Amino acid sequence: MPIRNTDHAWGSINKAFHWILALLIIGMGFLGWYMTWLPNAPGKIKIYALHKSIGLTILALVLLRILWRQFDRRPSELPMPHWQAVAARGVHIALYGVMLLMPLSGWLFNSAGNFPLQWFGLFHVPSLTDGENPALKAIAGITHLILFWVLLVAFVLHAGGALKHHFIDRDSTLRRMLPWGTRAEKSSPPPAMTATHSTPNSSSPTEVKS
Amino acid sequence: MKTVLLFVLASGFCASAGARDWSTDAAASKLGFSGTYQNEKFEGQFKKFDAVISFDAADLSKAKFDVTVDVASVNTANEERDGSLKDKEFFDFAKFPKAHFVTSAFRKAADGSIEADGTLTVRDKSKPVTLKVKFSEAGDKATLDADTKLNRLDFDVGSGDWKDTSIIGADVLVHAHLSLTAKAG
Ligand code: HEM
Ligand code: HEM
Repeated sequence: MPIRNTDHAWGSINKAFHWILALLIIGMGFLGWYMTWLPNAPGKIKIYALHKSIGLTILALVLLRILWRQFDRRPSELPMPHWQAVAARGVHIALYGVMLLMPLSGWLFNSAGNFPLQWFGLFHVPSLTDGENPALKAIAGITHLILFWVLLVAFVLHAGGALKHHFIDRDSTLRRMLPWGTRAEKSSPPPAMTATHSTPNSSSPTEVKS
Repeated sequence: MKTVLLFVLASGFCASAGARDWSTDAAASKLGFSGTYQNEKFEGQFKKFDAVISFDAADLSKAKFDVTVDVASVNTANEERDGSLKDKEFFDFAKFPKAHFVTSAFRKAADGSIEADGTLTVRDKSKPVTLKVKFSEAGDKATLDADTKLNRLDFDVGSGDWKDTSIIGADVLVHAHLSLTAKAG
């Protein structure tokens, strides 16, 4: 598998970013909900600390991912109706935005609440505010929650779109993102493909064959 | 004539008592403390306390501090933390609204500094506590700085699971800074 993206395949770095972040973020959604229900006890504080440490890790990875993407252009889209391509791009932008803002709002919330912050207990992470700030805390807290719902909607559209490509369009959109699959199946484009409108510069997918 | 006599008697009595009484200027005084939370230092203070101070550096045997603290006035600049402090695992405001410190003896340490031995009562726990005292007097005004280190576990502040010192450290440094004015007489 190439390290960098090619015109037809996602490189290993991009795939690693995608799937590590996807797993961490989905895990964080569950962890975030679960932890707020815990009774107030040291165990709760430890789980919060874990949530924050993972969240900061996500922030760092997302920044690296966005940086990497500036140098590694994504493969061209597979043929699909224009509105779908636009929708997919919109959802990708939303996902990038939420991936950045979710941890930032959490960090801000934590700072404005005047809680300490450490990365897995290894080093101190500075506060974004000058001590306690109740008004900002309220805003950051609500933002963190709203962003989570935005994330959820974007994620459903995104994963739903990926599954639609796989099972209905039967193209290689999902397969080429999967960690173990660099290549498309040998099968020729399914009949459904002919019905879709192809843009002039996107001929039928010519994946590298095994 | 009578009043003058009374005054002379009264001041004579005070002089023989050997300690000056001081009143505390609440706005310029602070009863602060610092502890650690998740291994990071935090600071807090008790906004309401009442200090009865009798002190004259010339005669320590008559000195006395008697301080009553309204524990519900605690503020650590963190809403959740302050909320927890009222619970029964911590100060239990409802059951133990006051903490109390009273000195039993003052002495000069080897290095010339003054130390005050006393008893601190928090919740229903009383323990001997020694303060390092710095008293600077200028006419009618004085400042008093007192420092000590406490172990919160000695006073059951943080019981049950909260004994876990990896979250809240055991040591609490107390620092009081009082701005005093001599009472007339
Ligand atoms: C992509 C990263 C993150 C995701 C997906 C995420 C998700 C969530 C979710 C679903 C909740 C529960 C809903 C809510 O109360 O808002 C939550 C709560 C929380 N998150 Fe995050 N979070 C992330 C990053 C962070 C970071 C980096 C911090 C702090 C440095 C943080 C701090 C918090 C705190 C303190 C709460 C509790 C809010 C409360 O008790 O009301 N989060 N998070
Ligand atoms: C089971 C869950 C997921 C599946 C099946 C999935 C699948 C995919 C696929 C197939 C692509 C390639 C799209 C293309 O070729 O245009 C992709 C891209 C992308 N995915 Fe996911 N994904 C999942 C979860 C997530 C999550 C949780 C996030 C972030 C919160 C995410 C963020 C992204 C982003 C930002 C891109 C665009 C990459 C770029 O163009 O730079 N994905 N995903």
